[in-house]
Amino acid sequence: MSTLVALPVLLPLLAAALSLVAGPIAAVQRVLSVSVLTAIAAVAGALLVAADRGAPVVLRVGGYAPPMGITLVADRLAALLLLVSIVVMLGVLVFAIGQRASDHGPRSASVAFHPMYLVLSAGVSLAYLTGDLFNLFVAFEVMLSASYVLISRRTNAPRVRASMTYVIVSLTSSLLFLTMVAFVYAATGTVNLADLSGRIDALPEGAKAGLALLMVVVFGIKAAVVPLHFWLPDSYPTAPTPVTAVFAGLLTKVGVYAIIRTQTLLFGEHGDWAFLLAVALLTMLVGALGAIAQNDLNRMLSFLLVSHIGYMLFGLALFTVAGLTGVILYVVHHIAVQAALFLVSGLVTRHTGTASLRDMSGVARTHPRVAALFALPALSLAGLPPLSGFVAKVVLLRAGAEVATPMAYVVTAAAVLTSFLTLYAMARVWVSAFWGEPSPPVPDVDPTDEVTVGTGVTSKPMLASAGGVVVAGLAVAALAGPLSTLSERAATDLLDRGPYRAAVLEGSSG
Amino acid sequence: MLIAIAALVATAAVLPAVARRWGRAAFAVGSVVVLATLGLALVRYTAGYRTESLAWAPVAGLEFTVRLDALALLMTVLVSGIGAVVLAYFTRYASRGEEGIGRDAAVLVLFAGAMLGLVLADDVLSLYLFWELTSICSFLLVGGNGLKGEARRAAKQALLVTILGGLAMLLGLILLGTAAGTFRVSELVASPPGGGVAVAGIVLVLVGVFTKSAQLPFHPWLPAAMVAPTPVSAYLHAAAMVKAGVYLVARLAPAFAERPVWWVPLVVIGLATMVLGGWRALRQHDLKLLLAFGTVSQLGFLLVLLAVGTYTAALAGAALLLAHGLFKSALFLTAGVIDTRAGTRDVRELSGLGRRWPLLAACATLAAASMAGLPPLVGFVAKEAAFKAFTHADPRSALVLVGVLAGSVLTVAYTLRFLIGAFGGRGAEPGEVGRPGVVLTTAVAVPVAASVVLGVAPGVAELLAGDYAGVFGAATYHLELWHGFTPPLLESAIVLAAGYLLYRRTAAATRAGAALPGVLDAQRGYRAAVVGLEALARGVTSRLQTGSLPAYVGIILVTVIGVPAVGLLTGPIEQLSPRAWNSALQLPLTVLALAAAATVPFARRRLTAVLLTGLVGYAIGGVFLVVGAPDLALAQVLVETLTLVVFVFVLRRFPPAFRRVERESPLRHRTRLVVACAGGAFVALLTLVFSSLRERPSEAGAAYVASAKDEAGATNVVNAIIVDFRALDTLGEITVLLVAATGAASLGLAARSARRRALPTADGDRGQREDEEVTA
Repeated sequence: MSTLVALPVLLPLLAAALSLVAGPIAAVQRVLSVSVLTAIAAVAGALLVAADRGAPVVLRVGGYAPPMGITLVADRLAALLLLVSIVVMLGVLVFAIGQRASDHGPRSASVAFHPMYLVLSAGVSLAYLTGDLFNLFVAFEVMLSASYVLISRRTNAPRVRASMTYVIVSLTSSLLFLTMVAFVYAATGTVNLADLSGRIDALPEGAKAGLALLMVVVFGIKAAVVPLHFWLPDSYPTAPTPVTAVFAGLLTKVGVYAIIRTQTLLFGEHGDWAFLLAVALLTMLVGALGAIAQNDLNRMLSFLLVSHIGYMLFGLALFTVAGLTGVILYVVHHIAVQAALFLVSGLVTRHTGTASLRDMSGVARTHPRVAALFALPALSLAGLPPLSGFVAKVVLLRAGAEVATPMAYVVTAAAVLTSFLTLYAMARVWVSAFWGEPSPPVPDVDPTDEVTVGTGVTSKPMLASAGGVVVAGLAVAALAGPLSTLSERAATDLLDRGPYRAAVLEGSSG
Repeated sequence: MLIAIAALVATAAVLPAVARRWGRAAFAVGSVVVLATLGLALVRYTAGYRTESLAWAPVAGLEFTVRLDALALLMTVLVSGIGAVVLAYFTRYASRGEEGIGRDAAVLVLFAGAMLGLVLADDVLSLYLFWELTSICSFLLVGGNGLKGEARRAAKQALLVTILGGLAMLLGLILLGTAAGTFRVSELVASPPGGGVAVAGIVLVLVGVFTKSAQLPFHPWLPAAMVAPTPVSAYLHAAAMVKAGVYLVARLAPAFAERPVWWVPLVVIGLATMVLGGWRALRQHDLKLLLAFGTVSQLGFLLVLLAVGTYTAALAGAALLLAHGLFKSALFLTAGVIDTRAGTRDVRELSGLGRRWPLLAACATLAAASMAGLPPLVGFVAKEAAFKAFTHADPRSALVLVGVLAGSVLTVAYTLRFLIGAFGGRGAEPGEVGRPGVVLTTAVAVPVAASVVLGVAPGVAELLAGDYAGVFGAATYHLELWHGFTPPLLESAIVLAAGYLLYRRTAAATRAGAALPGVLDAQRGYRAAVVGLEALARGVTSRLQTGSLPAYVGIILVTVIGVPAVGLLTGPIEQLSPRAWNSALQLPLTVLALAAAATVPFARRRLTAVLLTGLVGYAIGGVFLVVGAPDLALAQVLVETLTLVVFVFVLRRFPPAFRRVERESPLRHRTRLVVACAGGAFVALLTLVFSSLRERPSEAGAAYVASAKDEAGATNVVNAIIVDFRALDTLGEITVLLVAATGAASLGLAARSARRRALPTADGDRGQREDEEVTA
């Protein structure tokens, strides 16, 4: 069983190499990518079942015991997020293939896209599965380097400028991450997470708190926590639809995952949660207000993405089982819903030729199916019942009310307000883009780049895959019963660090 | 009863398909299903059915628990009964082959399902769920096909206002539920929580009630929603949506009626709304708007009755709930007939319809009589009970009674305005007036007949209303047509007379009070709130999201320094006593690195800056060598050299000097300098702090040294670590290198093809470029 843990990392890397070689043959690339991601999804499912039945599944890479070697660990949280992420990546991949086929003909290959996408999935998988702080840095690097290529591929001058913002901020965060790893190793002599969780307890209070906050800040850049979020709305919206969708769905969540994992496993209960609550409040409100101020649909969605990261910090900062249960549900919900929204936004701009809300109108009349695909995740993001966002939000609100401190009440109220502001933004999109008289598409500003708008052509795979990701979001709501009990068990694991530590450090002493 | 809700949702799902095939018959199908749910409810209630539960996500507290008691059944009668009538009416109201039949039918049936779920729910979260569903349904119904700007605005306003209230209510219910330790409505009512949290919870729930039931100052969404088709308005007003708030007050009153935080806002705002709504109704020319403000007014009345928690008031409230549903649906449906068949619903243009359509006029007159409180209709019976409930000696009752009487006078006056405006006059012009038709007239007649039956035999209404009111105490009063010469009868007579006089003097009265509503125009408040919110959003965002990358990186650095520094200061920092250097050679190397780094910002030419940066790297390589890590030093020097070579290649394409940043203020320059220096100093400090925390060498390090030879067969430990102990890291880093190479190649290719594309055409010659793209 434990060998399975390596597959989500190794399979896509191997496939990426093959894919690069197979470059010009579109069909080979497509079959390879789809089958590899499907296989990883199956592996993730198996890992989830195994982790949920018993202890976390642990692999000591090369057979070296911690703290000497690297361990890969699939506990409930990692396996669940891996499964959801890969399923969404698969949906986005099909969308990308459909888009390529309908824009450039079915045989047209995009040499770099598939290998990079596979490397990205390897990086994401490694980030979830690794039990080693330095290896987490490597995972981030793998993921980010692939994302640099994806965001700047087949581009034009304005998009190069936008991707510069992305690349430079990401490089800054990597540099800070590396510095942080050095501090950790200097202070404790180990980078294995399970091993660290004992050793950090022994550090003096000030150093511990400093390290905890340093980690929040470093990962907060990737997670787009206010005030470290500015890069995101300036860079994401310019990328091609599938790239934006997968970035928005996954990359920020990997940052959030890193925060959750390190704060719970390494630091446990400490005194700075009020600070994190304040950050959550700020993130929710600044993001939501930013969304309302936008006229560009994709920029609006990017600000909403920032805003809803606040919900996840909120649950973490409560630091109770209920709060963490809410965070896990929220992350799962948000991965699917945010990716779906960007995909559907891509469908919309293909018909309108523009992402400017002022210039589009009447999409519901000309393309009722696209409108329906937009409405469901939009309402879900606003937390309206009976959709997935509602379930996750209710768990968080209840957790906030149970904690019952003044600060918790304030942030709970802010969460409700953010929900309203999200709905406000979505209502504006609906009223100005979907209702009204249909307007002719605005011509594509730069028809030569990868961002194709206004073609009016969508293929069945695009609609079906966008629909599939929307359905994945609906499934989160439909399966809320088993999912929430699973999340509760995962949250309990996070607070009780024992099982993880035992599985990694004692697991198989041979 | 869960099956009834599910059946309605399922029916809604198939109705668009039905409508595509059979057109208006979709409404009839919906009507039958809705009526069937009423039948089921009656059967289940008499059979002693009580509760039923379906788990959804128990961890989240989400389960569908339904309970059918007297209040729920009373609401079901309204929701399903009037729903069936409205849907039947729609079969003829809609034109044959009209677009949007499928949508309207489906959303109306879904609306009925949501309302049914709302009134049956016995847990707060599914109550909230259905509550928001009704908001979304009304958004879709009011917006219609989204082509009319007015409809879009009204739909958005209704959505925003009711969902804002809904969210407040959700928070309130969660606070109450958490304080009480239960999310069941029945358990919450049985043992209501106390304390400050409960006060906040109640206030938040009331915000939900006031928005949903169109109370001051949230009411303007309801008149604005009159752009919807008239059957939709009828349903919205008589049974669904606005009744949700009233229902919630009726449901929670047994728990909170004693508390001032509950009844004071309800009574004050209810009375104010009752009077203001009646006043505004009196000034309308549009029949639908007149009725809409009438609803606003009556909803205030209902809230007052249901809030105070005495047996008689609750009995009157429940009876008026029924009465209002019946007469308001009949009157709206009448207005719809007039609108479609006479072509207008402006009272200044209508004339003589009473003679043309005597049957419809008779039905409308009876319904209006019920609204004004004339015997022998159920409206009279309810109003008598209401007057009785407040005819007491204590000052609170007296004050409320004055408000209620004032509101009732206005009700009588606007009722007359409606009736005479719609059907009065001699009808001089023949005009092209169609016939109402059997279906439409019957649909109006059904609720009117029910009003008469319940008026003549009020015992039937009391079966349910009395059962509900029973929670507030013993039955001290009964619904009767004739109680003898009692004070309420006298009050009724005064109200009728005063109302008639007011109607006669409408013109003078409205002129006198014209200044009043201008001050209290809540619609202006809504617009100001929207404009204010957008301005706030733009203000905040334009200040924060400057688009400047240096600013973003600067903020990141400041946060990275500031936040962990606060954490460090929370604990005592141990005395740091670092050695200055291990080897004297470190000193010149460090000075060299620092000097080179300090010079970089002042370099004019790109190449100089790159060389200086390289110098820093070489100096650090030298330090590695001095402290005994020759392999690290070698790696550092190699990487540095390679970077320099690449830089020199790239720089060939750049202008040699840096572009002068124009007009960069000295302040900004200094800020950058400070941030950069602080960042460096902070990292240096942290390095000192963290490396002084560990006394022993690392276990992992020791293990590497010990097992490099045996395990990895390596004499170089660093090699063993890279290719064996931590090979996974290396795999990742190699991947990164390959990816970077691919990315660089792809960027280079893109740039080359872009140049090729750009060469043959002049700048901005888009047409040709597009042609080229097509042929390519």
